[in-house]
Amino acid sequence: MGVKLLLEHDKVEGIRYYDTYRKNGGYRAAEKALKMSPADIVEEVKKSGLRGRGGAGFPTGLKWSFLAKPEGVPRHLVCNADESEPGTFKDRYLMEFHPHLFIEGLLISSFALGSNTTYVYIRGEYAWIPDILEQAIDEAKNNGWLGKNIQGTGFDCEIYVHRGAGAYICGEETALIESLEGKRGNPRMKPPFPAIQGVWMRPTVVNNVETLAAVVPIINLGGDEYAKIGVGKSTGTKLMSACGNINKPGVYEIDMTISVEEFIYSDEYCGGIRNGKKLKACIPGGSSVPILPANLLLKTAKGETRLMNYESMSDGGFVSGSMIGSGGFEVLDEDQCIVKHTMTLARFYNHESCGQCSPCREGTGWMYKILKNLEYGKGKMSDIDLLWDIQRKIEGNTICPLGDAAAWPVAAAIRHFRDEFEWHVLNPDESQKRNYGLAHYADPIHVAASA
Amino acid sequence: MSKQYYVESKPAAGGVISGNGMKADAKVAYVDDKPYEVKEGETILSLIRRHFGKGAVPTLCDAPNLEPFGSCRVCSVDVALSKGGPVKTMASCHTPVIPGSFIYPESDRVQKLRKNIIELVLTDHPLDCLTCEVNNNCELQEVAARVGIRDVRYPEGKTHLDKKKDLSHAYMTSDFSKCINCFRCVRACDEVQGQFVLSMGGRGFDSHIIKGMEVNFKDSDCVSCGACAQACPTSAISDIFESKSIQVDEKVRTVCTYCGVGCNLEVAVKGGKIKSIQAPYEAETNQGHTCLKGRFAFAFYNHKDRLRTPLIKKNGEFVEATWEEAYDHIATKLTEIKNKYGGDAIAGISSSRGTNEENYLMQKFIRAVMGTNNIDCCARVCHSPTAIGMQRSFGTGAATNSIKDIKLTDCILVIGANPTDGHPVTGAKLKQFAISGKTSIVIDPRRTELAKYATYHLQLRPGTNMAIMNMMLYYIISEGLEDKNFIEKRTEGYEEFKQEILGQNIDELEAICGVDKNLVREAAIAYAKAPNAMEFHGLGVTEHSQGTHTIMMISSLAMITGNVGRPGVGVNPLRGQNNVQGSADMGCQPYQGAGYFEVSDPVYHKKYEEFYNAKLPNYNGLKIPQMYEAALNDKLKAMWVIGEDMAQTDPNTHHVVNALSKLELFVVQELFMTETAKLATVILPASSFLEKSGTFTNGERRIQRVNAVVAPIEGTKSDGQVMVDIMNRMGYKQPELYDPEWVLEEISQIVPFFEGVKWDELGGDGKQWPVNKEGKGTDILHTETFKRGKGKFIHNNYKKSKELVENEKQYPYIITTNRELEHYNCGAMTRRTNNVLIVTDDVLMINPVDAAKHQIVDGDMVCVESPRGKVDVKAKITDEVKPGILSSTFHFPEVMMNNITSSVSDSEAMCPEYKVVACNIRKSKGEYKKPKATV
Ligand SMILES: Cc1cc2nc3c(=O)[nH]c(=O)nc-3n(C[C@H](O)[C@H](O)[C@H](O)COP(=O)(O)O)c2cc1C
Ligand code: SF4
Ligand code: SF4
Ligand code: SF4
Ligand code: SF4
Ligand code: FES
Repeated sequence: MGVKLLLEHDKVEGIRYYDTYRKNGGYRAAEKALKMSPADIVEEVKKSGLRGRGGAGFPTGLKWSFLAKPEGVPRHLVCNADESEPGTFKDRYLMEFHPHLFIEGLLISSFALGSNTTYVYIRGEYAWIPDILEQAIDEAKNNGWLGKNIQGTGFDCEIYVHRGAGAYICGEETALIESLEGKRGNPRMKPPFPAIQGVWMRPTVVNNVETLAAVVPIINLGGDEYAKIGVGKSTGTKLMSACGNINKPGVYEIDMTISVEEFIYSDEYCGGIRNGKKLKACIPGGSSVPILPANLLLKTAKGETRLMNYESMSDGGFVSGSMIGSGGFEVLDEDQCIVKHTMTLARFYNHESCGQCSPCREGTGWMYKILKNLEYGKGKMSDIDLLWDIQRKIEGNTICPLGDAAAWPVAAAIRHFRDEFEWHVLNPDESQKRNYGLAHYADPIHVAASA
Repeated sequence: MSKQYYVESKPAAGGVISGNGMKADAKVAYVDDKPYEVKEGETILSLIRRHFGKGAVPTLCDAPNLEPFGSCRVCSVDVALSKGGPVKTMASCHTPVIPGSFIYPESDRVQKLRKNIIELVLTDHPLDCLTCEVNNNCELQEVAARVGIRDVRYPEGKTHLDKKKDLSHAYMTSDFSKCINCFRCVRACDEVQGQFVLSMGGRGFDSHIIKGMEVNFKDSDCVSCGACAQACPTSAISDIFESKSIQVDEKVRTVCTYCGVGCNLEVAVKGGKIKSIQAPYEAETNQGHTCLKGRFAFAFYNHKDRLRTPLIKKNGEFVEATWEEAYDHIATKLTEIKNKYGGDAIAGISSSRGTNEENYLMQKFIRAVMGTNNIDCCARVCHSPTAIGMQRSFGTGAATNSIKDIKLTDCILVIGANPTDGHPVTGAKLKQFAISGKTSIVIDPRRTELAKYATYHLQLRPGTNMAIMNMMLYYIISEGLEDKNFIEKRTEGYEEFKQEILGQNIDELEAICGVDKNLVREAAIAYAKAPNAMEFHGLGVTEHSQGTHTIMMISSLAMITGNVGRPGVGVNPLRGQNNVQGSADMGCQPYQGAGYFEVSDPVYHKKYEEFYNAKLPNYNGLKIPQMYEAALNDKLKAMWVIGEDMAQTDPNTHHVVNALSKLELFVVQELFMTETAKLATVILPASSFLEKSGTFTNGERRIQRVNAVVAPIEGTKSDGQVMVDIMNRMGYKQPELYDPEWVLEEISQIVPFFEGVKWDELGGDGKQWPVNKEGKGTDILHTETFKRGKGKFIHNNYKKSKELVENEKQYPYIITTNRELEHYNCGAMTRRTNNVLIVTDDVLMINPVDAAKHQIVDGDMVCVESPRGKVDVKAKITDEVKPGILSSTFHFPEVMMNNITSSVSDSEAMCPEYKVVACNIRKSKGEYKKPKATV
């Protein structure tokens, strides 16, 4: 059993309620933090090596230290609970079953950043969770952990839960800020960054739910202790939401030393591929990250065992690696069609593009249209090149990273599964009746001797 | 690498690399490996365009008057932080230049990217350029050609080409099959007009521009400013005049005639007819913006109703006459009257719509030829109290600052003005200011559009400005917020003033004006504490019995807080008509001649006599209200009026009509058969501003050139030509042919602050007076000393209007008047344009409480009765007015609102008190009269 920091009390009955949470050591970190200086808390978080759990993996302590602190201007902490990345549902799990852990993290972080008004922007489809959160906020308030003069420290903090309206793009931090302000959720140009001008043009930090929850064990253990868990720059524990053709879909807390193979096949986690099928491919970190064929998933191009952490997962760059991303781990078995799967994702991004940037708005539309043709046996060989060309023109040429997020899955699918696409073009009729199958995608990779 | 777009390139001025020419500390960036100087904070696009010209980088979502947006990505360039280092593609329009970076605007990669983007955009764009209204003036077309699109590689797919056109609106049109989702229209509506009508609906491929909640233009909140159409790079949003079409012969720059903002217009002419109007981006007054009057309301100019021949009234009927006959008739009659009764039996009313030159000639004619000072102009009914009040306090009766100062101020105070309707382009700037959250204070009986956005709205009872001013000054003094240094160094009369203010009974004033004293206190403190506070006022201050006194209190408010004489402060009247400033400057008032010299002062009397080489009276002439009295008393026999519809717009219609009907000779120069023209004995058909040249002086003292766009409509003459003709005919020799150039030259010799004004040197943006000998204008007045030396504090107490004292018992309601954006004054012009399709009649605003009391529902006809008479108007139930207060427009002759207004006027300037009329209301039995459609 690996270390559990966030889901330590997962099996404790009633942990959702204040009294139980408190009895199990809840709000101890808050007690400790409120006696520290905000700067010291930031320092602990820096030492912990915590990286943002929202997808990009940006060091949280560093982000906090960028927050501008002009005289007389309020600052805000905004929690990104929009979790809409296909395959990702770890934040929901935390908020639904461990609301007080989350609120404690919010409180400590608000104190550290000097945010007297903190917002939780929650995905609209999580319709029942705001009630859980608001109930927990009330409990916390009644027990003096929120509101005015918290625990006699003179620090005031209110937390507001803001419901989104069902747009994936509102998970992008500047679109989220626009939406929070009551506007259409269009990402903003950067600079200025939120740390300088965020909500209501005030300095703002946007963090993921899991990131903020992780602040609680960091304070409890101390930054240095926390950093000892995991390897290299992948410190602490990470929540993974596993889904797809596996025996045990669900949310798992891992310390980042285990191998991908162990994660997929061990009974503690995914429990193997369902129905005894074979592993064909996997998207290891949410729909936006590159898909990997089984052979590159389990071993890096260098032939090393791939581990479930930031460095190992991205070993090889986009040529032969992927990303840990938001921790949405989607497993595809031998029966899955990569063309169809890529088309489904393209349809999603086409639907979710906010429509500001011409490359993203038009490009996602065309990627979907062309993939649809390919999937339904109406594609041409040149379409594959056109697809490649479009994704190249989107990547890096848009206001926000949704463009990249839309481009990467297509790029990776063509990169690793080009023969499956070609097969669709060459066999328009057959491809309508059967799948390409596992093909060579699980074959051991030939490791070239280093030159 | 292609170089064809690099039009001009300042030879790489060495700098870091070769060490010559460039300042040692100058920051440079390298474009194609050559160094160029970087300005602080500029974008890559601005750097490249500055050095290589506008065409150097293609753009689509960028627009001259909008913030960068970064959505089309066509402007992308390659950037490396060091020579040969890794290259990243960046959108140049919003990315700041990093000094020392290496920029490659035409790398192969960038060229391919641009091409690919345009190709994607074109997959959903109808390829019918040849028949499109903006063919050859379409930025998409231009950029597509620029990046070298030949064919589109994409298969057939779903498109938006079947989108329906929106032709619902009187002016605005849309055809979203041509839309490229660049957001320029949305930003224009938000950033320029501040109306927030347009937005993007849907996401991704489904993104589409929507108006309001997906309604059409007509049903949206659109105020028809046209900013979106001008901003749109394609024909997706346009207007009925197809303003972006280049199918024209020429474009002439001139100045709008509809208000004192003085927007510059670019008028497109084809085959001698006006096709459309756009706004030049580089114009200082309006930076590419206008309101619907300036942009769209020009169709009146060749309307069939235009008067096209002189008319002489014979036996109560107008008979057509030649110009010769008309001149003969007038000259004979005038000579006869002058000989029999003396020059003082003659009076002239000039027009604040006319040019400076025409106004100057008119007053010269009345003074030098008719030998009387009976000359006045419509400023009498609007800003005469401003002129007098500010002259007494500061020494000059004109705006102290410039409109551009709105960008520099920290607080605006807007009193008795509704700029979003009355002065729309300045109004839009003030609204943007208020929306931005900076301190804004509005003092107005109505919850105007600006009041809705303001930090403080002091919703006072009509006619109580003086009470509020006393209260604000009281709090500034009692809180110790006065600027002692400024008061001591630059003003006089402060001690007595202070005692008067401190002696005020605040609770009594609170009861009078009906505004919570704490709110007044907060607003006063906000105004006083702002580092720079800028005041604006309109007719809600001047059109009162205490108008002039209030102006002096406003001036005191500025002085006591030291808000005079630097950028972002001052007292700034929002001038109603386009040339109110100019007509006063030119001497169209009975007590001061051209350049504001007192006619009764022996020194100046002599100066004028010498200058005009004529005998002039040395006493003041009659103001407009006095003219009516004199006519009724048989003292005034002849009147000459240029372009003014007093019968519809002056207060107490019956009184006015009776007076005018008694005249022996009543000459009216007009475009249309107005209510006043009907009373004339001779009508002379005039030409409109689009048909003549001259200068207008806008509200910020900017003398701008008006340029004839088309020849005068056949049969009409410009007012200037008429003046010259009549002077010559009556033996006072003037050059035969009227030309603004020689008149302006003459003006510059008598009006000191026009000293250095020369027709040829005015350029596109004109100059702000005083213009010194060297031709340099002035944007801020009273910087070192006041015109009168020291600024003077002058106190007055609130005094209840005679109108209310006498009538409030029987007539418990107060009605005040207001304007609609869509119409101009008596509406003679705007009612002859499509503007009537937007606003069709006058309405009476009435609070729901009062409406309920009288069982009035929205749209009912209401009979409004005052001691003078009664009118029927359509009710609009709204909480924009408080209970007990009514407000109405006066644009349509069917209602004749001024049947009920009073003859009470400002004690000093005799500006009529339009803004306070005691009245009573009841539900009318009368039928709703639909105004005649005149389009
Ligand atoms: C299209 C898009 C969607 C995103 N959605 C989410 C999301 O649902 N939740 C989240 O935490 N971060 C999301 N992000 C990442 C955020 O922009 C941001 O990086 C993150 O909230 C930062 O938090 P962290 O530093 O704690 O990871 C998204 C980014 C993009 C471009
Ligand atoms: S990349 Fe796509 S989602 Fe992001 S701002 Fe541009 S159009 Fe919107
Ligand atoms: S015309 Fe003006 S108000 Fe109307 S939609 Fe366009 S920009 Fe907005
Ligand atoms: S209507 Fe015109 S300005 Fe507006 S988004 Fe479409 S193309 Fe751009
Ligand atoms: S704001 Fe005034 S000057 Fe400008 S276009 Fe409108 S009416 Fe004309
Ligand atoms: S002009 Fe720069 S992105 Fe459109």
